[in-house]
Amino acid sequence: MRAWIASVEEVFREASARWTLVAYFALSTLFILTFALAVNLDIVDGALAGAKLFGKAVDTGGDKLDLNKLVLGFESGFAGFLYMLGTFMALFATAHLVPRLQEKGTIDLYLSRPVGRTKLLLSRYCGGLLLAATNLLYLFSSIWLIVLWKTGVAHPRFFLGGLVILFGVAALMAFAFLIGVLTSSTAVSLMVTYAIFLFAAVLAGHDRIAAAVSSEWSAQTIHALYWIFPKTAELLRSTVALVSGGQTLQPFGQIDTLAVYGSTALFGIAALGLAAWRFSRKDF
Amino acid sequence: MIAAEGLRKVYSSRFGTRTVRALDGIDLSVEAGEVFGLLGPNGAGKTTTVKILLGLTRPTDGSAQLFGIPVGDPKSRQRVGYLPEGHRFPGYLSARQTLSIFGRMSGMDRATLHARIPELLARVRLSDWADVKVKKFSKGMTQRLGLASALVHDPEVLLLDEPTDGVDPVGRREIRDLLREEAARGRAILLNSHLLSEIELTCDRVAVLRRGKVAAQGRIADLTAQGSRYRMTVSPVDEPLLEAFRASGAGVERVNGHLVLTTRDLAHLNTLVDTARSRGGVLSELSPVRSSLEDVFVDLVRTGEAKEEEEKIQ
Repeated sequence: MRAWIASVEEVFREASARWTLVAYFALSTLFILTFALAVNLDIVDGALAGAKLFGKAVDTGGDKLDLNKLVLGFESGFAGFLYMLGTFMALFATAHLVPRLQEKGTIDLYLSRPVGRTKLLLSRYCGGLLLAATNLLYLFSSIWLIVLWKTGVAHPRFFLGGLVILFGVAALMAFAFLIGVLTSSTAVSLMVTYAIFLFAAVLAGHDRIAAAVSSEWSAQTIHALYWIFPKTAELLRSTVALVSGGQTLQPFGQIDTLAVYGSTALFGIAALGLAAWRFSRKDF
Repeated sequence: MIAAEGLRKVYSSRFGTRTVRALDGIDLSVEAGEVFGLLGPNGAGKTTTVKILLGLTRPTDGSAQLFGIPVGDPKSRQRVGYLPEGHRFPGYLSARQTLSIFGRMSGMDRATLHARIPELLARVRLSDWADVKVKKFSKGMTQRLGLASALVHDPEVLLLDEPTDGVDPVGRREIRDLLREEAARGRAILLNSHLLSEIELTCDRVAVLRRGKVAAQGRIADLTAQGSRYRMTVSPVDEPLLEAFRASGAGVERVNGHLVLTTRDLAHLNTLVDTARSRGGVLSELSPVRSSLEDVFVDLVRTGEAKEEEEKIQ
């Protein structure tokens, strides 16, 4: 456990020293401040009478809007936006963890300690995940508090969005670790993981893509790829759905929760398992 | 404490088209309280041997144990301190943080480390630099920090790869003294260095590796002793005495007031001593002539190269 904690602590110290952590939180703070300063709401008897965005009045149709519904809609949309922002930032801040560990002259220092290789890799994975979780907590808490301050409406459901984002980040970070173990390159692991994120999102339309291709073999491949890769687009929808309590789900259609979460979790576990297996067998 | 038997390591290129035999049947053993030196030209297999002992690289064949535990088991490294060659500590950590993190990775608790770290930093003369980031350290300071990191958990076995690399002469002397102190405390030390003079001053036994094989192994005194050459100081020395020595078949050289005699064996040497005494000579010194470790090393390497050339021609 001591070795585990020391490894996690080192991840945070490294992130902080490399300005990754500072940039990570500075960007988040900038985003939060922009949001806090830009939005001004005029609340009358628990309903929205008027709103200003960047100092300009927003047309509310003249009617008083149900503030509760408005906040719900806003928070679910915002959670969707944070899904993209949080995932990209988390991967950017952690992609170097394995390649730097494997550098010549560095890896010997770690592997000469009485810590198993799998444990070493997993402790760094946990450190990375904890880093991402801290940032997500910061982002979600700040936005939630600002909304509470401006509207007086508190929706704890908003935090569920953070959990889904962290779940997606966990799967993608596992894949980034696998590429990091195989290539020892931060740039390659970042590029390939971002590519998988986008490619998997495109595969959400696998039925339509498969229908458009000419051969049965291609169609089957597309379906297979869809089930292999993480369900990045569906997780976005799921984030929005969870935060809104299902109220904004209709435009996105139904989600097969078990399939989405199960296959994404399997992808992450397989990637992390492969990374640990390869790392434990590597000659340094 | 350290034992290796028949270690072989073959490196293959990515598609297995080329192979390099880094180790070819290495046997080693280092006991408690012993400083053992591993010598060899570049590519002889020194670092590969150490890496196998630490489980960083797997042997193709053979076995190695630390404290009787196979080196693949992380438990074997519980009581081992390692200083790699060209190590790169995270530059963003201070010396104190470095020792704290690596100490805890070796299973130490914070309270013990709190007392241990200042003591170790003082021992390697880095007390004033305890809270300075490692990236600001000179090479010699980084090396001393590396030594402190290897010692942080008070290991019983030390594996040190070029420990005095980049260290000034005073620092080298201090490191030598520190290693002798550790050996006196019963620690087994395996030292890997190109600096033969350092090895000669520090080690009890050495193994000379050449192309993945042990070319010679033993106590330095035994390796450097030239079996048939002796230094004799006797007076008076006159020409008839030298002629008598030569007549017995001995080689005789006069060097700076003493004689260097080349004899067939010990019996021959005793005959020469008797001859000198029977002529009224008084012996004040008789000792075997030793060559330096560097001479032995160069001879071994060159002899090996010459043999290989012959084999190629045949």
